[in-house]
Amino acid sequence: MELTVLAVTFTLLLLIGVPVAFSIGLASVATILVAGLPVAVVFQKMVGGMQVFSFLAIPFFVFAGELMLYGGIAQRIVRFANSLVGHVRGGLGMSNVLGCTIFGGIAGSPLADVSAMGSVMIPLMKKEGYHADYAVNVTTHAALVGALMPTSHNLIIFTLATSGIASVSVFSLILAGVIPSLILTLCNLAAAYFVAVKRGYPTRGAFAGWREVMLSFGASVPGLLIVVIILAGILSGVFTATESAATAVFWALIVTVFVYRSLSWQDFLRACTKACKTTGVVLFLIGISAAFGYFMALYEVPQKTGMLMQSMSSEPWVIFLMINVLLFVLGTFLDMAATLLICTPIFLPIAMQFGMDPVQFGIMMLINCALGLNTPPVGTTQFVGCAIGGITVGEVMRSILPFYSALVAALMLVTYVPAFSLWLPGLFK
Amino acid sequence: MTLAAPAAVRPQAAHAFNKACAALSKASLVLAVVGLIGVILAVQVQVIGRYVFNDTPTWAEALALQLVLYVTALGVAVGVRDAGHIGLESLVGLFPEAWRLKFEILIHALVGLFGAIMAWSGWIWTTLKWSDIKPMLGLPVGVDYAALVIAGVLIVLFSIEHVIALLRGEEVVPAWN
Repeated sequence: MELTVLAVTFTLLLLIGVPVAFSIGLASVATILVAGLPVAVVFQKMVGGMQVFSFLAIPFFVFAGELMLYGGIAQRIVRFANSLVGHVRGGLGMSNVLGCTIFGGIAGSPLADVSAMGSVMIPLMKKEGYHADYAVNVTTHAALVGALMPTSHNLIIFTLATSGIASVSVFSLILAGVIPSLILTLCNLAAAYFVAVKRGYPTRGAFAGWREVMLSFGASVPGLLIVVIILAGILSGVFTATESAATAVFWALIVTVFVYRSLSWQDFLRACTKACKTTGVVLFLIGISAAFGYFMALYEVPQKTGMLMQSMSSEPWVIFLMINVLLFVLGTFLDMAATLLICTPIFLPIAMQFGMDPVQFGIMMLINCALGLNTPPVGTTQFVGCAIGGITVGEVMRSILPFYSALVAALMLVTYVPAFSLWLPGLFK
Repeated sequence: MTLAAPAAVRPQAAHAFNKACAALSKASLVLAVVGLIGVILAVQVQVIGRYVFNDTPTWAEALALQLVLYVTALGVAVGVRDAGHIGLESLVGLFPEAWRLKFEILIHALVGLFGAIMAWSGWIWTTLKWSDIKPMLGLPVGVDYAALVIAGVLIVLFSIEHVIALLRGEEVVPAWN
């Protein structure tokens, strides 16, 4: 009964156009009223969901991205990217893919990736004549690869969730993610190129020559150092992701104010206000999703599904397909970390029983959850991408298919070809 | 964005209540900006403390988390006024203009309702947790929930402003940037 109330109110509110976060909030309140519990519980869960130190990286990355956007760093990076691949059709889309992939590897969070890279790349792509839906799709899909990268905190969350079921080392999981991430990036590049050709985006003349490449690279080095600071800081263990994000804000300020001298006081204030508004929208969504996840766990939604599934088939490929479909459905509603924590204990034992390696299961789950981040009704990275691009989810759906298919293909490969994920870690055993 | 159809150009709402809301919205944003800078500084102090002074300040992380709650609360409220929250493209766009207006009013009313529930629940937690003290900051735990009261009250005010503007055929314009 409570579950029906939750699902129906949420869907209804969302459909009439109530913003997602408020739809989740009102649906949670309705559910708790039906359950006869105090309404205040919803808000306790919400505040709890927002008090996580690693989430602080999100406002920092948004802020740094805004400073880069207004302060002339982004323009220099774009000049460099254009000098390299600008003469190719969809060149800016391709450099966006590479940038997002690298950034995703640093941030380890598709959401922070879309916030940071999206804030810089989406407006620039629009300015260069690309359609907003293309710009948003390139960014949101390239950012998903970040979930598989070595610095992805989701990898760590998965290993935590497997404790007591199987022994999965972070190291082997990181190795298992390398080939799938490379393939995903290649697929994203191909999709970016394919759509660009289909839509006939103009090329920008001939290759400008290596002198221009070196010059534009030199001009963007101070800006690129932001990425170096973050990467070196996290990899060496000097900074946590959050701390390096805060440092990136400082570095972005130093570069734009003292090196490039292109950030006016007005631009600075605009970057500040934009960062605050985006922080409010995004962290509120994360917080209220924590309340939503609480109800899903409370009414044992995943457990019930797991039991039902086992009674339906004994064919491994059918079971794996069912697990994927169920993960996908849950992932469209839940936050990635929540899906990992709730579903791993239920689905991993079943998958292992039917012969799947826990490491392979982890990579499969991460790609699957990443898909959910780009799927309505609760596609968090998609929503953030749309917010930055100033378009609706409906509009972004127009060109999603090539990008989405690439991810689905990679998911199927990981699910049904064990070597795809297990070959590399196998070399180190 | 919240509203599906591109709203017809409506005149800017500029009554006394709108001016008051605009001032509140701008004040909220200014405070949020100060708060965000505070969060960044707190995290930097933590890093500098750890590496330069070999002494990690314990309050820094707690302060950053405390401030970010308030930045979020204020940002959420301003987001409601500036129609910045993310939502699905609604079915409302398919309805005729008269219906669409009713739905838009309903959406703002529902957002306002949630704001009211948030303010009320936040108030309950604030009073309940006021005597619990956070060890790191020495502040009451209730301070966390006071952020919900502030956000809730602002959301209610801004939603009312939107409903009135819609009824008058006017448009609420963002107060700052």
